[in-house]
Amino acid sequence: MTDVERLFRTYNAALVRYLTRRLGDRDWAEEVAQETFVRALRQTSIQNERAWLFAVATNLVRDEARKDMRRRKHLALLAEQERDEMVEPEETTIERAQEAAMARKAVDALAERDRLALLMREEGLDYNEIAEALELSPGSVGTTLSRARRRLVESYEALQKSREEREKNAAS
Amino acid sequence: MQHLDEGTIHSWLDGALSADEAARVEAHLKECPECEAAVAEARGFIAASSRILTALDNAPRGVIPVAAPKKRVDPIVWRVAATLLVVAAGTLVVFRNGGREARIATTNADTGQSAITATSQNATTAVAPMAPTGDETTRMTAEPTPSLSKPGNSTRGTTNGGLQPSAGPTEKSAAKVGAANTSTPTSRALSAIAPPVVDRAEARPPASQPNIAARDDGKVAAPVGGAVTGNISTSSGDAGQAAPAQQTLSPMRLRGATALDVAGEQFSLKPVGHPRKLGVKVTLYEVAPGDTVTFTEPVSLQLDAVVVTGLGTERMAPQSAGKAAAPPVKRAAAAAAASAPDSQRPAQALEALAPAPSAPVPAARVEVENGVTTISWPDPTTGNVLTLSGHMPEARLQQIKIRIERERAAAAAKKKP
Repeated sequence: MTDVERLFRTYNAALVRYLTRRLGDRDWAEEVAQETFVRALRQTSIQNERAWLFAVATNLVRDEARKDMRRRKHLALLAEQERDEMVEPEETTIERAQEAAMARKAVDALAERDRLALLMREEGLDYNEIAEALELSPGSVGTTLSRARRRLVESYEALQKSREEREKNAAS
Repeated sequence: MQHLDEGTIHSWLDGALSADEAARVEAHLKECPECEAAVAEARGFIAASSRILTALDNAPRGVIPVAAPKKRVDPIVWRVAATLLVVAAGTLVVFRNGGREARIATTNADTGQSAITATSQNATTAVAPMAPTGDETTRMTAEPTPSLSKPGNSTRGTTNGGLQPSAGPTEKSAAKVGAANTSTPTSRALSAIAPPVVDRAEARPPASQPNIAARDDGKVAAPVGGAVTGNISTSSGDAGQAAPAQQTLSPMRLRGATALDVAGEQFSLKPVGHPRKLGVKVTLYEVAPGDTVTFTEPVSLQLDAVVVTGLGTERMAPQSAGKAAAPPVKRAAAAAAASAPDSQRPAQALEALAPAPSAPVPAARVEVENGVTTISWPDPTTGNVLTLSGHMPEARLQQIKIRIERERAAAAAKKKP
């Protein structure tokens, strides 16, 4: 197994989930994740793999970099295998679609740095890794995360409340 | 000591503080109910935000064209959705009336070469009237697309092309749009074998017509289901007289058939629903676009199974209306099925589903009725009778059965430890 394959198998799932949550589109997320691993190929040494991968992926989202078709094909095959092994989630019901839409709105309402820190934390990155990936001081990660979480929950609850009111009005 | 700030509380809860700092926080919390309350609140925020973020994980594929990811939601998506709705309603009407005939054509026996040729010609002409759009799609297919990692992209192309004729709302062209749209997930599964999408989109919609043509000829196409499409394409390819349009039609059909029949294990086995039924757990698997099999297992004695069923029922509730409205005939309705969104995948196979017998039977039993094959066999572990039925030849259904058994075994093995 080559080094990039090991990286891919270790981090792809988390990275794709992070990017999917960030971008709202699974295809796009996979595209960016693959590009990230292609970048890792060119790197001679990486200090902290996870922080590096998340930082690169985040930057790629930011500046829509050029892509390397040939190498991505190989990675697309690996992704295909991984998808086959995965159990497909059940179909999205209306309820879940609504929840997803509200979650999307609430996440989009966050400041970019708060959002990225929170999404990275959810993928298990520790404070130092988040600090490294986002070029923050480690001491400020706690504050960033606490703000992100509070705002996310508050705006989600606000959306939920207004939806309930709308439904109530529609019913009466 | 000062109260703890929120950032410190989150850092502590995330285990990011040094041992010294953590000890200080814990000491403070022992004597400060205010900060203790703040910690409780922070725990709530952490849990709730995790839960909210989880809701983002079912993000759709291909909402954004891969090549130009900056455009978010294209208005075309809405146009396609609207077209789908119209088509779904339209095909329901059409197949209520015409479906029965088509089924007769599909389910009859032997393959006549001339009938097949007629069929494939028919299929070609069915595509031909698409004039400008048809040409465009053909050209796209003819260029070997390096589409392995970009199926979404090429689908998009077809959808765009196919959409224009739907302005003059012909049944066929509209169905085409539907097929192009829904083919994305499968095309991914197949992409290791072939550059997919476009030809499949072409191949689908006329599906009901070739069958009718075959019937007019007095001869009939192959046994059932997937085999029909497979045979048609093989012979049209063999005949060597295939027009370019025809060639774009056939390889995909052939590949589709190959993927399912030859490779055996390659087909997707995707649970698409759990229709509610008393005392049994019913799973509807999609093995190909528009092609579903129904798997039934008794649930009476397994607590976990009951829970799962309850969950499934609750989640499925909003969809049942869509299912009920779906067209009743299986293969002939392929175009309709392909044009319906996943959640409305028809549950026709259910119709002919024999009620699961209560006593265990010694070995697998096979019944064929109205072209629907049903296999019943006892579960090796529980002895319950499992039933699998679908509108397809027995051989193929057997393959699916093996696959389902394997997955059940794997799932059971996972549960145990």
